[in-house]
Amino acid sequence: MLKADVEVDRRDFTVRAAIAVAPGERLALFGPSGAGKTTLLEAIAGLVPPRSGTIELAGRILTRTGKPRVAVPPWQRRVGLLRQDPGLFPHLSVRANLTYARTASSVIQADVGSRAAGGTAGAELTEVADALGIGSLLAAMPARLSGGQQHRAALARLLLAHCDALLLDEPYSGLDAALRRTLTALVVRLVTERNVPAILVAHELADAQAFATQLAVIDHGQLLQAGPPDRVVLRPASVRVAELTGYLGLAAVPGNPGTVAGIHPDRVVADAAPERGLVLTGPVAASRPAGAGWEADILLPGAQPPGSAVTVRLADRPGPAGSEVTVTAIDPPLFGPDGLALADASAPRRENEAHAPAFERIGEGNGR
Amino acid sequence: MNWAPNPVSARAARRSEGFAGQPWAGQVRTAPGSWPPRGRWRGPGSAVVPPGVRPAAAAVSIGGAALIWLALLAPVITLLTHLSWHSIASALSYPGALDPLVTSVEAGGVTLAVLLCVCTPLAWMLARGRLPFQRVWEAGVLCSLLLPPLVIGLLLVFMVGPYTAIGGLLGHLNLSATNTFLALVIAEVYESAPYYVVGAQAAFSAVDPRLEQQAELLGDRPRRVFRRVTLPLASPGLAMAMAVAWARAMGAFGAVIIIAYHPYGLPLQIYTTLEQTGLPTALPYALVLLVVALPLPLAAYIWSARAQGRRRG
Repeated sequence: MLKADVEVDRRDFTVRAAIAVAPGERLALFGPSGAGKTTLLEAIAGLVPPRSGTIELAGRILTRTGKPRVAVPPWQRRVGLLRQDPGLFPHLSVRANLTYARTASSVIQADVGSRAAGGTAGAELTEVADALGIGSLLAAMPARLSGGQQHRAALARLLLAHCDALLLDEPYSGLDAALRRTLTALVVRLVTERNVPAILVAHELADAQAFATQLAVIDHGQLLQAGPPDRVVLRPASVRVAELTGYLGLAAVPGNPGTVAGIHPDRVVADAAPERGLVLTGPVAASRPAGAGWEADILLPGAQPPGSAVTVRLADRPGPAGSEVTVTAIDPPLFGPDGLALADASAPRRENEAHAPAFERIGEGNGR
Repeated sequence: MNWAPNPVSARAARRSEGFAGQPWAGQVRTAPGSWPPRGRWRGPGSAVVPPGVRPAAAAVSIGGAALIWLALLAPVITLLTHLSWHSIASALSYPGALDPLVTSVEAGGVTLAVLLCVCTPLAWMLARGRLPFQRVWEAGVLCSLLLPPLVIGLLLVFMVGPYTAIGGLLGHLNLSATNTFLALVIAEVYESAPYYVVGAQAAFSAVDPRLEQQAELLGDRPRRVFRRVTLPLASPGLAMAMAVAWARAMGAFGAVIIIAYHPYGLPLQIYTTLEQTGLPTALPYALVLLVVALPLPLAAYIWSARAQGRRRG
C-alpha cells in the first residue's frame, strides 16, 4: 500500500494531495501541464521535500514532517521512477544498466544479494530481459538502442531493482501511439504480476485511461476528484473537472434555471432521443471533417457562456452553416450554479461497451 | 565551455588536415555518406545550386580552415625549422641541463594533484548550483581567472612572503614559500586553478542530474553515485580541464618569476638562457617544454574522444 498525504511547495503554488494506492492497483494522476503532478511523484520518490505530510509505502514510513520526523533518503526508499527520458546510464552497457541496482550500496542490495546467493540472479536478468524483448541487446550500449528499446531497458532495470512502488512520469509521451500502447500494456501486466502499487502521471486522458484502475484529477496543485476512471470521466465532480476531461461545452438545461449540462463532443448522437439524455437544437456555426466522421460547432440558445458554440462529433455530415441541427447529449453530467455536480444517484453507465481491463483489449504487441 | 569533440567538426577537421593546401582539394569526390554530404544543396526558397558551385565553396572553406590552422601552428613549425640536432645536443648535454625539466614535471604533477583534490569538489558544487549566491561564487572564480599572472605573483608575495602571517607559520615549520619548490607549486596552482575549475564545472554541468537521481533511486548513496555515474560521465571533460591546467602549470612564468625564481623550471630556464647566452641556446629548452607538456593533453584528448566513441556504441 502506498499512501501519501502531503503539501509540497512549488515556486508558484502549493501542491496538496492525499492518495492511496493498493498493491497491484494503478493510479493515474491526470491534469494539465504544470498542475503539480510531477512534483507529487518527486515527493514520493524523496527527490523533493514536502512542507508537511506523511508518505508511507508497504508499511514503512518514508516521510513524516510531524514528530518523530522521518525522511528516508531516495536510495533507501525502494521506489522506482520512470521518466520520459529513459535515463539509461550512457557509459554502461545495457547489461550493466540492468544489474545496476544489484551492485548498489543500499537496502535493496541485501534483498537482491540473497537472491544472487541462490544462483538465480543471472537467470532473473535473462528472464526479465527476454520478457521485455531486449534479451539480444544486453551487450549493446544504450545509444545504439531505439527509443522503444531504451524504454524497455529502463523498465527492466526497475523490475530487477525490486522496487516496492512504480512511479511513471509520462514515460511514453514522446513515442508514437502504437509503441505507447504496447509499452503501457506491458507495464500494466508487470504491475499486476509483481503486485506493486503504481502511479502514472499523464496529461492525456486516453493515456491515463489505458493504464489506470483509479483516476485522480489534479489542477493547480489541488486534487479535484479521484475515483474509477469511468466514474470520473462520466460524472465529473465540478465544471473544472469536466473541462479537463474533455467536456468542451456547457448548455443550460431547459426547465432547470441555473443548471448546466456538460457536453462532451464524443457523447452526442444525432437527432432527438429524449429518453437517452438532453436534446439540443441550434444552428450550425461551422463544421469540418474529423477522422471518419464530422465535427460541428452548434450555437445553442442556452450555451454557457452565452453566444459560445458547443462542439460535437457526428457520424454524418451536418447541413451547411446556418441550418438547424438537433442532437442528443447522452446522459450528460449536470452542474449547479456553484459549478459543482448536482447530486445524482444513478451510477454511470456506458451503453455500448463493457468496461474491460485496458490491457486485454490492447493485447501484446512488439513495438520495434 | 564544451570540450566534447563535435563529430561533424572533428570529421571536417580530419579532412582539412589531409587536404591542407593540396591543389586538388576542390576536386575531391567524396564517398557516399562522407563529409561533405553529396547531392545538390537546396537553399531556402532558392533554385537548384548550379553544378560546380558546391565543390568550389567546399574548396574555399577547407582552404580557409587550413590557412587558419597553419597560422595557429606557425610558432611550432618555426620552432622545428630553427632547431638542429647539433644545437639540441650541445645545449642539453652539459651537466644539470635537464634539472629544470625534472623540476617542472615534479611541480606540475604536484599542482595537478592539488587541483584534483581541492578544486574538483568546488567545481562539482558550482555545477550543481547547491551553493547560496551562486553568481557570487562564479564571479569569484572569474576574478581569479582574469588576474594577470604577474599580478598573482606580486599578490602572492603579500600573502605567503616571509613577513606575512602565513609566511611566519611556514617558518615555524621550517618551510618557506619564497624561492623554493613549495613556492613554485603555489605559483603554478594559482595560475592554473581557475582554468581547471571553469573546465571541470562545465564537465560536471554536462552530466544530467536526472541520471544521478535515477542512480540514487536504484539504491546508491550519493558518494557511490558520484563514483559510478557522475565521475565516469564527467571524466572526458575533466580530463580536458586537467590538460588545460597542466599546460598552464608547465608554462607558468609570470607568478613564478616573482615568487619562485629558484629552483628553475623550464620557462625560467628558457628566460635566463635567453638573457645570458641568446636565442639559439634557449630554443632547445622550448622544444623540451613542448615535448614534455604535450603527451598528457594529447593522451587526455585521445582518451576522451575514445570514451565518447564507446558511449556511441
